[in-house]
Amino acid sequence: MINLKNIKFKYKNNAYDVINDVTLNIKKNTINVLLGLNACGKTTLLKIMNGLLKPQHGVVEIDGENIISMSHVERAKKMSFVLQRQNIASDFTVFNYLAIGYTNSLKFYEQPTSSQKEKVVAIAEEFGIGNLLNRLLDELSGGQLQMVSICKALIQDSEIILLDEPTSALDMRNQNKVLSTLKRIAEETNKTIIITTHNPNHALYLKANVVIMNKGKIINEGNSEKLITKETLTEIYGNDICYSNELDYNEVSFK
Amino acid sequence: MDNTNRMNFDMNKEKKRFLLFLVVGIVLLFITFCLSLIAGRYKMSLNQLVNAIFTSDASFDTERSVIMLLRLPRSISAILVGAALSVSGLIYQELFQNKLVSPDLLGVSSGAGFGAALAIILGASMLYVGLIAFVFGLLTVALTLGIAKLFSKNTALILLLSGVVVSGFMSSALSMVKFFADQETTLAQITFWLMGSFEYAKMEDLKLLFPLIFIGTTTLVVLRNRINVIALGREDAKASGVSYDVYKYILIVISTLLTAISISFYGVISWIGLVIPHIVRLAVGRQTQFTIPITIVFGGIFMLLADIICRAFTASEIPISAITGLIGTPIFIAILFLKKQVVKLDD
Repeated sequence: MINLKNIKFKYKNNAYDVINDVTLNIKKNTINVLLGLNACGKTTLLKIMNGLLKPQHGVVEIDGENIISMSHVERAKKMSFVLQRQNIASDFTVFNYLAIGYTNSLKFYEQPTSSQKEKVVAIAEEFGIGNLLNRLLDELSGGQLQMVSICKALIQDSEIILLDEPTSALDMRNQNKVLSTLKRIAEETNKTIIITTHNPNHALYLKANVVIMNKGKIINEGNSEKLITKETLTEIYGNDICYSNELDYNEVSFK
Repeated sequence: MDNTNRMNFDMNKEKKRFLLFLVVGIVLLFITFCLSLIAGRYKMSLNQLVNAIFTSDASFDTERSVIMLLRLPRSISAILVGAALSVSGLIYQELFQNKLVSPDLLGVSSGAGFGAALAIILGASMLYVGLIAFVFGLLTVALTLGIAKLFSKNTALILLLSGVVVSGFMSSALSMVKFFADQETTLAQITFWLMGSFEYAKMEDLKLLFPLIFIGTTTLVVLRNRINVIALGREDAKASGVSYDVYKYILIVISTLLTAISISFYGVISWIGLVIPHIVRLAVGRQTQFTIPITIVFGGIFMLLADIICRAFTASEIPISAITGLIGTPIFIAILFLKKQVVKLDD
């Protein structure tokens, strides 16, 4: 579904490659976690997948088509992107923000139709955020904002959903809410989900395909339960990793 | 809880509000327009106005001449310029995600002001003063964009800072021109031009002004849904399927042209581009689908009212920027206060 071939990327005025020769194949209908420390290149790789950043070397293909040759509308039909920082344009109401999910199906002079608006309300209600439709974005808590952003991605109705650290600013309850929602979406729809996180437990919980990144390279890839071992994690996080499998799923913590 | 809110949610609430304000706005615009035709140093009643326009009675020839030669072109110009400056302000505010931005941000006003002052001291005719002002307005914006491009991170903030720097430079250059101007003649002319006026508006002006402002504002109305997405910022807009960079330059060019055309005809008119978008957002909310048409109508009304005040109450004309500033400032403070109240009520 998504093929990354020999991707190299360097920010302007940066001496080193933030992404250094990454080759990756993401399969359809899977849930994938890009895992690694801060500044290892996870977000950059996600933006390259979405075409927001253009690599200096290598190609990104979606269903065999080069992402750079696709228009923004074509990309938005294939992929929705839940950005990490959603603190802008905060005086949008939740309803109006969600309706923007339909932009990829509208011509430049068109407005969302009545049936599209009705669908926004229906999807929001089904998603459990129907009570927020009247509220302004800046009145929402971090957890609510994240749920709204995920719901907007669902309205965009693309096959692939990219999420940049969807749990990073959330408390444990909201982290669980967001992750269980993603798990449910993956199970109930045939969407391909790719998220970035620096928490290995999220990958274990999602039973995801894990891509472990370090210093701009992919150091390992595979099923979370097989891959998240003391050895691989020690390579990333250092020696003071503690690994337990006493719970219903394995858990990683620090000593 | 969910059910109560669900029942309360009316997805067409904003649209109904928009249509109400649009109808009220158009009615108010018509009333202000009629008022503008009868107001002025030559006193006229509504009856005289109707007779002068709808009959060919020779006893109303004086009124007819006053209306056709002076007040009609003046009133139409005021509506067009009011609409152009207000909607440009709104577009800049959405594009730069900054509610304190106005059309002259990128240096249009200061550049045009310098160009006009230079033309005046060189003894150019009014036509050339306008033309040179227009060219300098655009050149200044090009300079601002060029400087911003030099930075590796070409963000909206860099563009804003670049605008401040270039405007500052142009203001200093303008001061130099004023220093060399003749105190008795050209300096007064420059000062008057820098404060704007519709005093010399003619039917001839409309041949150029009307099509340009009509095309510019209509394009913005057509693009109103896309502008809403652009207001989310670069990454969000791109991820939603909108070519942010292309639209950014289209919007900058249209807004700058609208501002430069207005300034080149009638001088620098301040405050309107800042105040009207704020009033409109308070009335119909944030969505540009609604704010753009309402801003055009309200901008026209505001400018007409300001122009009526300029000419109806004093023996000599008051510069328009003096009035827009005097009315605009208290309105702006009132808006800030009202917004605070709205937030409190919501809490």
